[in-house]
Amino acid sequence: MGIKVDRLESQDELYRQVADEYGAALARLAYAYEADPDLRRDLSQEIHLALWRSFGKFDGRCSLRTWIYRVAHNVATSHVIRQTKGKRNAPAFLTLEEAEAQAGNEDIEAFTNRRQALTRLLALVQRLDPLDRQVILAYFEDLDAESIAEITGLSAANVWSKIHRIKDVLIRQFYRGGRNAL
Amino acid sequence: MPCDELPDDLRTLWLEAGKDRPVFSPDQLRKDTERLQARRRRGNAILLVCLSIFVATFALGFFLVHNTLSRIGSILAVLAFGFWLVNILLERARTSPDPGETSALLFYRAELVRTRDAHRQLLWRWLLVPPINVLFDFGLVQTYAKRFPFIAPLEWSVSAFVLAVFLVWLPVKHLKVARKYQGRIDALDAAIKSNGEVTK
Repeated sequence: MGIKVDRLESQDELYRQVADEYGAALARLAYAYEADPDLRRDLSQEIHLALWRSFGKFDGRCSLRTWIYRVAHNVATSHVIRQTKGKRNAPAFLTLEEAEAQAGNEDIEAFTNRRQALTRLLALVQRLDPLDRQVILAYFEDLDAESIAEITGLSAANVWSKIHRIKDVLIRQFYRGGRNAL
Repeated sequence: MPCDELPDDLRTLWLEAGKDRPVFSPDQLRKDTERLQARRRRGNAILLVCLSIFVATFALGFFLVHNTLSRIGSILAVLAFGFWLVNILLERARTSPDPGETSALLFYRAELVRTRDAHRQLLWRWLLVPPINVLFDFGLVQTYAKRFPFIAPLEWSVSAFVLAVFLVWLPVKHLKVARKYQGRIDALDAAIKSNGEVTK
């Protein structure tokens, strides 16, 4: 996180450094928003494009990390809405209550190795409402509640309570069928 | 306020998802931007050509079909397609809030509103088609039915199809989708109210 924006002279250089430092986190974010590999590649491109363009406007009023996650999550949210817009049978987003209810109905033989466990985890995250998704993804990336609040616009207390609820659902689903797989 | 820990195996697994990260260079992104702008310009040009063909067809109808109803239909068609064109171009020019300066919550809401409004606008655009079509067809039948007996059943079939599609199917479909998005907006607003704080 040690990028000093004021020392950077160009948008391109800032982008290169950010892509280097946050590239893996942005790839994970794209995974959590898009299951289809081709569309995921498009989404990654959209995120990187938006970031590169946004650096021309970045004025340091918030931290660079907040800026990067805001841009990435917001672009991904637009992508998700666009993808579900024209599809009649597109899966609806799950509320936390629905996700919790699903946890009880999972096939416990569903995943037996790490790859499947990861796919299972991502599949669940991909069905969460975009706002819940943003909160849990930022948490997965080790951001604290205040930083997540700054990115999402929710209060820190609300972020905190959301994390607890989403994490409980994920852990319950995850360990039901998969602990041995890890 | 620190967040409590995620189990290590879950976090390790999560970090594995970022292994195959795509790489983009600024030059490539610059080219992508130019390509996107070119695609947008091309899209607008195609739209303009398509609507111009429709307008020209109905304008031609005005001079070829000597019937008052058909002529009213032609004039309405030209006006409606012009309205459509302006409407669509304005909608395309509408930009999303700046993704870096808007919190995820407000951005999400703005995107939902934008999508809902797009469906509502489509609803009204479709509703303009049936009266124009029926007027034009009615005039055609009045003028040519005696000379071409097949024209009446043909035109009424077309009108029935247009009414079913543009007056019932498409508006109902867009109304349902717009309501779905309104439901999401209401749920989000309720959450915002109950949570109190929202920052930009």
